[in-house]
Amino acid sequence: MRVKLWGVRGSIPVPGPGAAGFGGNTSCVGISTDDGCELILDAGTGIRELGVALAGRCRHVHVLLTHLHFDHIQGLMFFAPLFDPAAEVTVWGPPAAGRALRERLARFISNPLCPVEIRELPARVHFKDTPSSPWRLDGLEIKASLVAHRGPTLGYRVTDETGSLCYLPDHEPGLGQDLATATPGWISGHALASGASLLIHDCQYADAEYGPHRGWGHSRLSDALVFAKRADAARTVLFHHAPEHDDVRLDEIASEAASRWADGGNGGAIEMAREGRVIELHA
Amino acid sequence: MDEVDQPEEQPLELILARNLISIISLAAVLVDTEGALVYYNEAAAEAIGSRFEERGRISRAEWSAELGPFDAEGRPIPYEQLPLTNALRDGRPASGRFFMGVEGGLLEIVASALPLVGPNGNNGAMVVFWPVPADQEG
Repeated sequence: MRVKLWGVRGSIPVPGPGAAGFGGNTSCVGISTDDGCELILDAGTGIRELGVALAGRCRHVHVLLTHLHFDHIQGLMFFAPLFDPAAEVTVWGPPAAGRALRERLARFISNPLCPVEIRELPARVHFKDTPSSPWRLDGLEIKASLVAHRGPTLGYRVTDETGSLCYLPDHEPGLGQDLATATPGWISGHALASGASLLIHDCQYADAEYGPHRGWGHSRLSDALVFAKRADAARTVLFHHAPEHDDVRLDEIASEAASRWADGGNGGAIEMAREGRVIELHA
Repeated sequence: MDEVDQPEEQPLELILARNLISIISLAAVLVDTEGALVYYNEAAAEAIGSRFEERGRISRAEWSAELGPFDAEGRPIPYEQLPLTNALRDGRPASGRFFMGVEGGLLEIVASALPLVGPNGNNGAMVVFWPVPADQEG
């Protein structure tokens, strides 16, 4: 499995030289499949460049949305395959009471927020609720579960013969409990992440920043590290960087994370997500 | 019974409900779709007689034998007639008034059950209960 980070930022894109190192695009991760296509996790602004890179490569693209907060869908209207009449795009997302996924996304892809209506997209576009049990796409096994974030939000685990990727970009498992002592079955996302080859996990806040944001659905560094330790993933990538964290600040957080991870005697590797980073999983 | 006997992964609806009831002072329990107590808070532990951290999950058969509930004459109320059962079966909130066995006696309580129905269906229920005030006892 080949995983590429196309957008690693949370909340809002961050252009400018201060974010040039880690990148300013919002959440988007591409997983290359055997047939040369991509399975795409989230449609933040990073999906725009991914769509350009996909041109002419495959006809049917799957986009798996964790949830519909703006930073995870705002690249959708700039995703080239949606404007290719020869392309077929299936958008998967969390089921929710009341409105179907297509209707919920149409609130964004419609006047006055958008010049194009969802029914006008030239590609053949399908909108599907993610199943509650594992299913297969392009040779990959996908498992989705609801996780702790505001509103219906999914985490994903994608598995092939080379390993498993667990993607939890917006996740606050430490809300209301001590992650270090909680029973694993009662930790949001634990079953999805347990033993993953690669865990991509929310780390929006430094510890000192967390207080006023508790309950907003994101993790502080301490909780991200403890969750990673409890999940026992082989490699952890800290993701969904706060827009106010420039490269200098992210380097500081990276150093603190590495130091605390090593001091804790933890196995596996840990790193900060960086736009453009490619990680290959090997059997 | 130990927590090890529980399913590997609890539904998010139960996890979030546990986070909530673990910090409130009203007695509250969580039941799974089979009617087993999968969590109860400190206030409920006073009535149940042991802390969840010490005892863990309690099957439906176990808590029925220990706690009841009972009618005013001390006769067991069938599980099918409890508010909890209605909540699990119908997916709607339900309330009732009955007695539960506490420390060798009977305590009259009011209980309200809230079904935890999510996008993937029913995940169990949260039940809160409180003693009937002395001036309202039947």
